Amino acid sequence: MMAPFSHTATGKKAAMALRSQLAQGAKFLLGLWMAGVIVAMFVIIPQYEGLGDAGRIIIMHVPTAWVTSLAFVVSGVFSALYLFRRRVSDDASAVAAAEVGFLFCILATATGAIFAQIVWGVFWNWDPRETSILVLLLIYAAYFALRSAIDDDNRKRRLGAVYNLFAAVTMPFLLFVAPRLADSSLHPNCAFIQGSQCDGITLELSGARIGLLGDSKLELKSLERQGDLVVADVNVTRPGYQVENHRPSFDLASGKPADRPEFDGEQFMLAVEQVDLATGTARLNIEAPGSGLLGNSRTLLTFFASMIGFTALFVWLYRLRAQLLMGEEWLAQRERTYGFPS
Amino acid sequence: MIDSDQTTSESTLIAKNNVQVSSLKPQAPSLAAATLAVFRKDLRIELRSRYALNALLLFAVSTVVAISLGLGPIAPRDNRDLKLIQAALMWVALLFAAFTGLARAFVQEEDTRTATALRLAAPPLAVYLGKLLFNLLLLLVLDAVIAALFIAMLRVGVGAPLMFAAVLAVGSCALVAATTLIAAIIARASAKGALFAVLSFPLLIPPLVVAIRGTAFALEGESWAVGAAPIQVLLAYTLALFVASLFLFKSVWEA
Amino acid sequence: MQLELANITIDYGPRRVLAGASLTLRAGQVLVVAGANGSGKSSLLRVLAGLQRPSAGTATYELGGARYQPEDAGWLLGWVAPDLQLYRELTAVENLRFFADVRGLRKTRAELATLLEEVGLAGRGDDALATFSSGMAYRLKYAYALLHDPPVLLLDEPTVTLDERGAALVERVVARQRTRGLAVIATNDSRELRYGDYVLRLG
Repeated sequence: MMAPFSHTATGKKAAMALRSQLAQGAKFLLGLWMAGVIVAMFVIIPQYEGLGDAGRIIIMHVPTAWVTSLAFVVSGVFSALYLFRRRVSDDASAVAAAEVGFLFCILATATGAIFAQIVWGVFWNWDPRETSILVLLLIYAAYFALRSAIDDDNRKRRLGAVYNLFAAVTMPFLLFVAPRLADSSLHPNCAFIQGSQCDGITLELSGARIGLLGDSKLELKSLERQGDLVVADVNVTRPGYQVENHRPSFDLASGKPADRPEFDGEQFMLAVEQVDLATGTARLNIEAPGSGLLGNSRTLLTFFASMIGFTALFVWLYRLRAQLLMGEEWLAQRERTYGFPS
Repeated sequence: MIDSDQTTSESTLIAKNNVQVSSLKPQAPSLAAATLAVFRKDLRIELRSRYALNALLLFAVSTVVAISLGLGPIAPRDNRDLKLIQAALMWVALLFAAFTGLARAFVQEEDTRTATALRLAAPPLAVYLGKLLFNLLLLLVLDAVIAALFIAMLRVGVGAPLMFAAVLAVGSCALVAATTLIAAIIARASAKGALFAVLSFPLLIPPLVVAIRGTAFALEGESWAVGAAPIQVLLAYTLALFVASLFLFKSVWEA
Repeated sequence: MQLELANITIDYGPRRVLAGASLTLRAGQVLVVAGANGSGKSSLLRVLAGLQRPSAGTATYELGGARYQPEDAGWLLGWVAPDLQLYRELTAVENLRFFADVRGLRKTRAELATLLEEVGLAGRGDDALATFSSGMAYRLKYAYALLHDPPVLLLDEPTVTLDERGAALVERVVARQRTRGLAVIATNDSRELRYGDYVLRLG
């Protein structure tokens, strides 16, 4: 229990000194790394079309959300270890991971809501990811509430660990159920959109001209070549809306979608992803802005650097917090053994 | 700190007494018999005090009356999502009524300090299973009352009665599987009532959503091909939490 | 058959109530734990009953070559204490029948009546516990503790709320326990020190 504070052998002492030097160095490097990520986020990566500077928040938002889930898993693992081995240090790690996770959970929710308001015009949409993170927030809060309501230290640790693990069992169901909560997702991940096809839908002028994509009905009316561009004439019927006509286009020279018109009222876009003039077929897809956000390599690198930085930040923070909690425990232990210092 | 007053040697003590200790561990009671004993005991106490039953039923009636008055004498029949709204209201009423009564089984043992006697005598799993059965029975009674009140007072039309009953029963199983372990946890903390809802709610979101969808299908009179999916999810959820509880309960129940 | 305490230490928050108690108690022996209020008598008994974990050290029961931790030894323990409570809504017989059932014992009504007679509750078997006086309720605790003929009897404040005949009951119970196994008694009543082959003074 006293491991971090008592070191008797000199060899151990030297090893501790080296370790603490390494830790200092790592902390310094982490600081530099995160500073670099922040600079890159504002200076190096280009603006994303249609999102402006708001798109830059993704560099912070996604890693905080990732750390939140990572923290939940780490906390669960240490809770299981505590129930198995009954070591106070395992419980301290579980609490520390949950506390840091809670902090990042709030950050992810806040950054996400800001981004959603600017880009999609709503703070909250009961989108699957939003629902899951809200439930995670509630679970963390319940975990802390439970711990603060129990006086006896051992009972507090034991029951906290049990609740943490019990909550973890429900998570797969949440991930399964959440996508069925909302009819559409704002998050750019087709696996989560009900009935969506990640590859879009292929329509044929001389065959299946009408198809369903999600809950929108698409009708391909014509394909027209204008130089290097192919312009598709598409009627879109969405539940609760009038029929809209859109003319997305495809650049034959670069082999990429060119013009992606936005739907009325919402900032979803219709894109032609592939076209074959000979057979008169076109692959259409509905994109949320931000879908292609990481297409740029500078952005992608910054994003990965941010993920690594945030993960390291999480590990450092939770281990620091766990050490602090152990320090408190050690002080209490000392008081019991030697009495209060007078 | 410690001193032995008497220093009589052990050998003389043993010679003095003719001790015969049966060294055989008695046969452990069958889990089913012990579970049934706990269930019967809780049922008998509940029938004598009617504490949980009264609280649940009064809560159920007041909720339904409040909803009924709030919606006015004529239900909004022209609403496309009427069935979904009715299903959601029904499960919210069930959920909150359940929050008031389901913690009782464990909280009472701690409050009246009978938990220790039970802890020394009964196998932990029998305690868990007995209370699980008791809570399930309580919730099924509540289901029947709330369903009857909704049909009578809110004029809820049930398209597929059998599926309706099945979704209610399976949804209640899921509710009980999640809350029984939590009741055992909060019984050992302070501020029990509030804590029970706080701890249970995040874990009940998935089954609640599925149960509401399933109930809406049943009210609309959908076919079993549609209605089977929610029932399967609820069963899977019940099973997962039940198995997890079996593993975790011993850690909760130990002193 | 024996009970081994090795370096048992009990803390309450920052306060250490028992520091490193070690002893061995064999079948036929009775240990009396004496000490002022708050000296850790009851805590020690709770540790022996597996109702509380010691902050350090171990307690082990050895029976027929097998060793049991207090947490898994409910079947060999009989425990009587002021903070032991039985079900007030149930009658005396219903209480005993329930505890016999969960312990897997088959007790006839006659056997339960004999047990009730032994603890001085003859004829009150069908009355709800709620109607009992505190002394009578305490007698029922003895019936609960003796129901399964436990080889280990743990008595915390054995005669509190009991009248003179109740004290005689305790004397009988302890005397009989010497022939069946061992007993640990926690008390601050100096008259009860005579039960012990050993006296452990705390505080």
